[in-house]
Amino acid sequence: MSAEMSIEEKVKSIVLKIVRKPDIDFAATTTFKDLNADSLDIVQMLVALEDAYDIEIDDQELQEVTNMGGFIDYIKRKVAEKG
Amino acid sequence: MEKERSLQGKVALITGGSRGIGRAITLKLAAEGVDVIINYFRKKSTAESTAQEARAGGVAAHTIKANLGEPEKIESMFDEIETRFGKLDILVSNAATGVARTALELDDRGWDWTMDVNAKAFLLCAQRAAKLMLNGGKMVTISSLGSRLAWPIYTAVGVSKAALEALTRYLSIELAPRGICVNGVAAGAIESEALKMYTEGQDLSQISLQTTPAGRMVRSEDVANVVAFLCSDEAVMIRGQIIVIDGGLSLTTVGYGAKKDDEGGRLGAP
Repeated sequence: MSAEMSIEEKVKSIVLKIVRKPDIDFAATTTFKDLNADSLDIVQMLVALEDAYDIEIDDQELQEVTNMGGFIDYIKRKVAEKG
Repeated sequence: MEKERSLQGKVALITGGSRGIGRAITLKLAAEGVDVIINYFRKKSTAESTAQEARAGGVAAHTIKANLGEPEKIESMFDEIETRFGKLDILVSNAATGVARTALELDDRGWDWTMDVNAKAFLLCAQRAAKLMLNGGKMVTISSLGSRLAWPIYTAVGVSKAALEALTRYLSIELAPRGICVNGVAAGAIESEALKMYTEGQDLSQISLQTTPAGRMVRSEDVANVVAFLCSDEAVMIRGQIIVIDGGLSLTTVGYGAKKDDEGGRLGAP
């Protein structure tokens, strides 16, 4: 498994665990709204990912993210920036 | 002549101490000579920046990341404090969160999350902190007027703050024989990111200017000044009290959105 895949899988696993919908379709085009994620869900996702990769997620930057594809790309970028 | 630093040599933990009111408290205590431990939830860079500012005053400043909604993280935080400092003189329970919903819209997750961070965390912190306050100490909780007033979509936070205030009173009695003073402060609206979440675009600074007898909104520094006083020996006979810091707003009957007489409004009829 490539490192890139592992980030995708990690994001998917964390997101689906927090929204408590393990069987829902999770695609690049899936939005937070599709997942019925509320503000508490999103905070918990961010904290889990920050802890997992020792990164800081900027809530302002995240405003630009519209779907899971964008979310995964954002996390990959943060991980890469950290080095 | 250099100003006397009344709390020189004390060690304080400020939960949520990296930004907003917590940051102001951290810097005020540091200015009084306190070595500060800054607990933060997410942003290490923000916590480090506050720590750097505190250190510029010649005190030690240490940051600890911990989600206070998780009891095991609170345990780890105090293990670290015990190992590194061996004592604690001051606990400021400031960290707070909340879901902005009406009572009928609240779900159990939002309720538990808010109560865990805003109320239960103080209990767990106080239990560990008391063991480190070998020569007495001070605990100060940061509450809100929402504990006694009813504001739209503030239900979970307001109730959690009411619990926090009750716990402040109970602990003040239980810990008094150990030389530990426990008090709280309840601030009015403070211009902050958190406030924006609950006011949905209202210009509260303008409204507060019109309705607060003191003529301006409360500032984080106003809260920090009272907290520092409650941490001093001069406040030793104040026990279990919640000091309101609102520029007199809660004593008036002119609520948010009310108009003055000369603007066509009537007192008591906002």
